Amino acid sequence: MIRLLASNAILVGLVISVLGAILLPVAVNRGRRDWMMLGYAAVYTNFVLVTVATLALVWGLASHDFSISYVAQVGSRATPTFYGIISLWGALEGSIVFWAWVLGMYAAAVVWFNRKREGNLVPYAATTLLLVVLFFHILLVGPANPFHLVSPVPFDGPGPNPLLQNHILMAVHPPLLYLGYVGLTVPFAFAMGAMLSGEVASDDWIRLTRRWTIVAWGFLTAAIIAGMWWSYEVLGWGGYWAWDPVENASFIPWLTATAYLHSVMVQERRGMLKLWNLNLMVGTFVLTILGTFLTRSGIISSVHAFTQGTIGYYFLGFIAVVLLATLIMVAGNSDKLGSTGTLDSALSRDALFLMNNLFLTVFMFTVLIGTLFPLVAELVRGVKVSVGEPFFNRMSIPLMVGLLFLMGVGPALPWKRSTWPELRAKLIPGVILGLLLGAFGIWAGARNPYSILAFTFAGFAAAVNIGEFVSGANARVRAHGELWPVALSRLISGNRRRYGGYLSHLGIVLVAVGVSASATFRTEREATLQPGETITLAGKTLRLKGVWGREEKQRSVIGATMELLEGTKVVGVVEPRMNYYPTSAQPVPTPEVRTTWSGDIYLNLMAFKQDGSTATVKVIWEPLIPWIWFGGLVICLGAIVGVLPARKRVSAEADADGATVAAAGSAS
Amino acid sequence: MTGYRGLVRALLIGTVATSVAAAQAPALPAAPAGAPQDSGALRVQVQGTLSEAQKNDPKLEEMTKTVASELRCPVCQGLSIQDSPSELSQQMRTVVKEQLASGKSEQEVKDYFISKYGEWILLEPQPHGFNLLIYALPVLLVLGGAGFIVLLVKRWTAAPVAIAASGDATRTNDEIPE
Repeated sequence: MIRLLASNAILVGLVISVLGAILLPVAVNRGRRDWMMLGYAAVYTNFVLVTVATLALVWGLASHDFSISYVAQVGSRATPTFYGIISLWGALEGSIVFWAWVLGMYAAAVVWFNRKREGNLVPYAATTLLLVVLFFHILLVGPANPFHLVSPVPFDGPGPNPLLQNHILMAVHPPLLYLGYVGLTVPFAFAMGAMLSGEVASDDWIRLTRRWTIVAWGFLTAAIIAGMWWSYEVLGWGGYWAWDPVENASFIPWLTATAYLHSVMVQERRGMLKLWNLNLMVGTFVLTILGTFLTRSGIISSVHAFTQGTIGYYFLGFIAVVLLATLIMVAGNSDKLGSTGTLDSALSRDALFLMNNLFLTVFMFTVLIGTLFPLVAELVRGVKVSVGEPFFNRMSIPLMVGLLFLMGVGPALPWKRSTWPELRAKLIPGVILGLLLGAFGIWAGARNPYSILAFTFAGFAAAVNIGEFVSGANARVRAHGELWPVALSRLISGNRRRYGGYLSHLGIVLVAVGVSASATFRTEREATLQPGETITLAGKTLRLKGVWGREEKQRSVIGATMELLEGTKVVGVVEPRMNYYPTSAQPVPTPEVRTTWSGDIYLNLMAFKQDGSTATVKVIWEPLIPWIWFGGLVICLGAIVGVLPARKRVSAEADADGATVAAAGSAS
Repeated sequence: MTGYRGLVRALLIGTVATSVAAAQAPALPAAPAGAPQDSGALRVQVQGTLSEAQKNDPKLEEMTKTVASELRCPVCQGLSIQDSPSELSQQMRTVVKEQLASGKSEQEVKDYFISKYGEWILLEPQPHGFNLLIYALPVLLVLGGAGFIVLLVKRWTAAPVAIAASGDATRTNDEIPE
């Protein structure tokens, strides 16, 4: 019943997206506004239909309806309902359903917010969105259909992958990832719409797209950080990033989207880089699809795994169509994509954005070829090779350090041109804080040159970006006699995107400090203890109290109770565990993390004796790790500041640079 | 027949014989059909030749760490045997340490694992032959891109005349949003 409802909803959605995608261009050609509205209605209707299908699948998972193939595949009566429901994104078919739902939502929102706009940009963007929707409907009726009938109906299922039901972050990370990934379809759709409608020469569409891009980028950033946190909390190795293909797939489009957020400003101010920005937008979208293809087709683990399913061919075909369509349209619009402006000076923010884009693009390319290389090597040489952390660290750390440096120089440079005295005044605090932090790093024991440089540039970038807030607010205080906090808040609300950007920069600095400190100063110790024995690391002493076992409904749990000592006093209890799920021979580690102001004590249970007489534990001292999570939060706050609507009276204001601060003040 | 949990525990501890585990394991359900079984084929042979002094030698430990960071844990998702908490990785680390203690060079230890698992066991491709591509391409791209940018900036800052000649300057002023 539910199953039929859902599969019919998908089928009707497929038909409607085809009709809408045909109707909208026809409406544009005939100039029929009423038909256009009908086309928009197709977008809304599709959203309703995929919502029905998604809810049906959720209901199936919650009610253990094992006649639905997807539920039979990932469901289990023993799994707590909450984890049962979130296994919606635990396997291929469910995650495509969820993708289609998020895409339907974005498409409906884009059309709704722009429905009154004149011109042909929005109908063509809606057409593009419907065509992408169509692709996912095709997947859902074809290779990724979750609604097959299972007969006879099994009584129970195997349950979701143990790793996906072991931590609450699995309810957070995937939805954020989809909101980010799928959201990047919107700028792509606008890019296509702009080229189809010929509006690509005007920059109006860029302004329309900007906010959507920041929204998607913010979600993607949050998703990456949440994924790191999940990996840290669940996988038991005390790290948060292993350059695994799945991680890389989320990071690659983030890099190009970040590049776009910067280079688009050059287009807005100078009328330059139009073709480049189009490429970044289309490229980012293609990279999200490519990432999904790589991680979902099984091709990365081996080219031979690819042949097991057909879904890979669908993705490849789709990517080919997108690239071909882009090529044709860029060729058709080539007269409109030339630069209409020039640069004033090599020593300007505009020029620096070119370097920023170079670094981010090369970074993207490096991660991409590193991820693809095992595949290429297997095809070319017939030998399986691995490309893992040592390679990615070697190649990417110089790029990261370089980007950190640019992040400090960029905000100090004004648009157009700069003079040395001006620049010097802005850079001096940065240089001082940078040197201080670098020296602190050396004092604390850092010897790796990149690590020392990372601390130095982090301090540099922090001071310069904070300096932008301080000097801007000071200027307002001088000009209007406002109180400092008032001046600061008016400064930010007067140019949200700019100051949101600086705030995100500060978040990146926090992440960078957390990453370099934890990589440089991490210490660990492993010991097999009997009850009553202690292990000491980084001044923290832990005593084993005992080993215990517990049967739960869906798993059995072995845990070690350890007491955190200060002198002889017990100040806390930590219980690292191992969770055994019936579907997995390997236990799922469940480390316990104790956060302090200076870092985490990370405790993992490695092994134990059957009779509970010993436990082998690994203690890791992870300095400043919480800074990474907090930094992620700050980056996202920056994105939120950047997308909040500007106050009307100042929204038309140009970037409040130096002297124009006064003007922004009087306008508010 | 051992219950799967008993099996897992025996596997995990390594020192406990399966029969002991079976005897001591509480009444547990039998392994469900299709559950992953012992990855015994991947096992390595720990010799047990390390002396107490060697076990605590910081220099040996440092070398072990270096080599272990470059070897892939065969049962994980791209983790090194240094990072992986899995039992197999712990055994492999011991093997690395034993071989280093017996006087083998770091490269010889890596070669041993390559002979056993293939080139795949290295987390970073060896920089020769075809593999050089992934090291060279990013570097070439940075250099080429930087050169290109220098040229562009030179052209854009020095030659408004050249751009005017190409006909673009006519649209300049009214279309740059400020």
